[in-house]
Amino acid sequence: MPALLRAQDLSKRYGGLVANNRVSLSLAPGEIRGLIGPNGAGKTTFVNLLTGIETPDAGRVWLGEVELSGLGAHQIAAQGLVRSFQVARIFESLSVSDNLLLPFLAAGSPGGLAAGLARVRELLALATLKPLAQERAGTLSGGQRMLLQACAGFMVPSVTLYVLDEPFAGINPVVKDTLIALIERENTEHHRAFLVVSHEMEIVRRLCPLVSVMIEGRIAAEGTLEEVARRPEVIAAYLGRSAA
Amino acid sequence: MIFSAELLIQTLLSGLMVGVLYALMALGITFIYSIVKTINWAMGEFYMIGSYIQFVAVHFLLGPNWWWLAAILAASGTFLLGLVLEPILIKPMYARPLQRRDDYATVVTIALLLLLRNLAVALGGPNQYRPESTLPVVWVGPLPQEGARVAASIFAVLALGSFWLVIKKTWVGLALRAAAQNRVAVQTAGVDVFRLDAIAFAIGVALAGFAGALLAPLFMVFPTNGAVTTVKGFEIIVIGGLGSIPGALIGGLLLGLVESLGAAFISSPYQNVYGFLLVILVLILRPNGLFGERGREA
Repeated sequence: MPALLRAQDLSKRYGGLVANNRVSLSLAPGEIRGLIGPNGAGKTTFVNLLTGIETPDAGRVWLGEVELSGLGAHQIAAQGLVRSFQVARIFESLSVSDNLLLPFLAAGSPGGLAAGLARVRELLALATLKPLAQERAGTLSGGQRMLLQACAGFMVPSVTLYVLDEPFAGINPVVKDTLIALIERENTEHHRAFLVVSHEMEIVRRLCPLVSVMIEGRIAAEGTLEEVARRPEVIAAYLGRSAA
Repeated sequence: MIFSAELLIQTLLSGLMVGVLYALMALGITFIYSIVKTINWAMGEFYMIGSYIQFVAVHFLLGPNWWWLAAILAASGTFLLGLVLEPILIKPMYARPLQRRDDYATVVTIALLLLLRNLAVALGGPNQYRPESTLPVVWVGPLPQEGARVAASIFAVLALGSFWLVIKKTWVGLALRAAAQNRVAVQTAGVDVFRLDAIAFAIGVALAGFAGALLAPLFMVFPTNGAVTTVKGFEIIVIGGLGSIPGALIGGLLLGLVESLGAAFISSPYQNVYGFLLVILVLILRPNGLFGERGREA
């Protein structure tokens, strides 16, 4: 099967720090891949390079047949590669439902406004946010903000790959389960692929058949979580050199 | 000075009438800032261009009866000018490191100010022009009001209303409100934030151009006529709070009232001083302005 995402030799340097060093990654259509690694390994930089928030010093990215290198963040989103941020970036003074409507309208409202509103209602119900639809998004709790941000990505009609950067950090178990159910549903019903950056190994084990491990700006290992967890360099990166 | 209820009402009325025009100007400044995150120092020059378009359209093309069409032309002309200039002049600042942006925008818009002002001198000379106005005096109860002034304030209110409709009821308005809060997130939602910048800049300068057109028969048409209104615009921004739309509206009305009351009941030659006193008072009591919030980046 041809790959959905191909990132090839992406590099990014900040002054003397090599944040990403020739990172390559392939994802199959409909795959849920975990991206793990210690803090500072370069996971968020990699996500930023993929999604056009930052420009790589070298390397190229394709989504299906389309090369994304050099496109702006909004063009990459329009091609169907969307993302969420570690700290939820929602529009606090807009209503919850307007937060969701915006990506749909930006895509030119395919199928008409009614289709968009129906999708908003569907997602709000799945995210258990329905009673809050008309509230200002600024009134939401931390977990609800994460859910709202995740739903906003699903409102981009063409989304084939959703990159979630630490979506489970600092939210309560009930919200975590809601978010997991949402990801699994979008995956099975719409065949959407996910790249999930997370430190929550229990959730990664449950959600991701395969994981990629990033250490010091490179992909150090790929496989099931059990396989990579046995690799000495992975153990060393998490526990320190002496453990290796 | 003899105090009378009639004088008080007339003063309040004329204060409010000029206040809505001030608000228009301040709204343009604050709106551009809230989206593009830069202060357009050439705002008064778009006011000036609007007033020249008004004069040329009324005097040479349409005649005084069509003044309202001329004002719409002035707003459209400045809108298009803004739409063309923003991507050329302002957009490159986003290619610069963050800390240089303000410097860049300041230098570029001040250069634009000088260019446009001197262009006006070159094309129209240093003369003052005045578009003819045939609007009759309007009687509000027993009180006479200059026709052009009443018309200007009514059209200013209509412009504020249209602005509100665009912002609250259209999808571009929704995108603009979102961009005002987070430029990065709005891009990940699939919105071209640079196109929004150009639209916001164009809307902002069109508000100034419209104000210039409406005030042309009252405050004259000459190359530096935007300077005073720019200063008033910034006074209002300080009073209302940078980036706050309600602040621009309330601040504009407040400034109009304070000037008009001070001129009527204290001394009229010092009319421009009362506004500054209000600014100083606000700075002492609420340094972020009446509706201002603490600054926040990205």
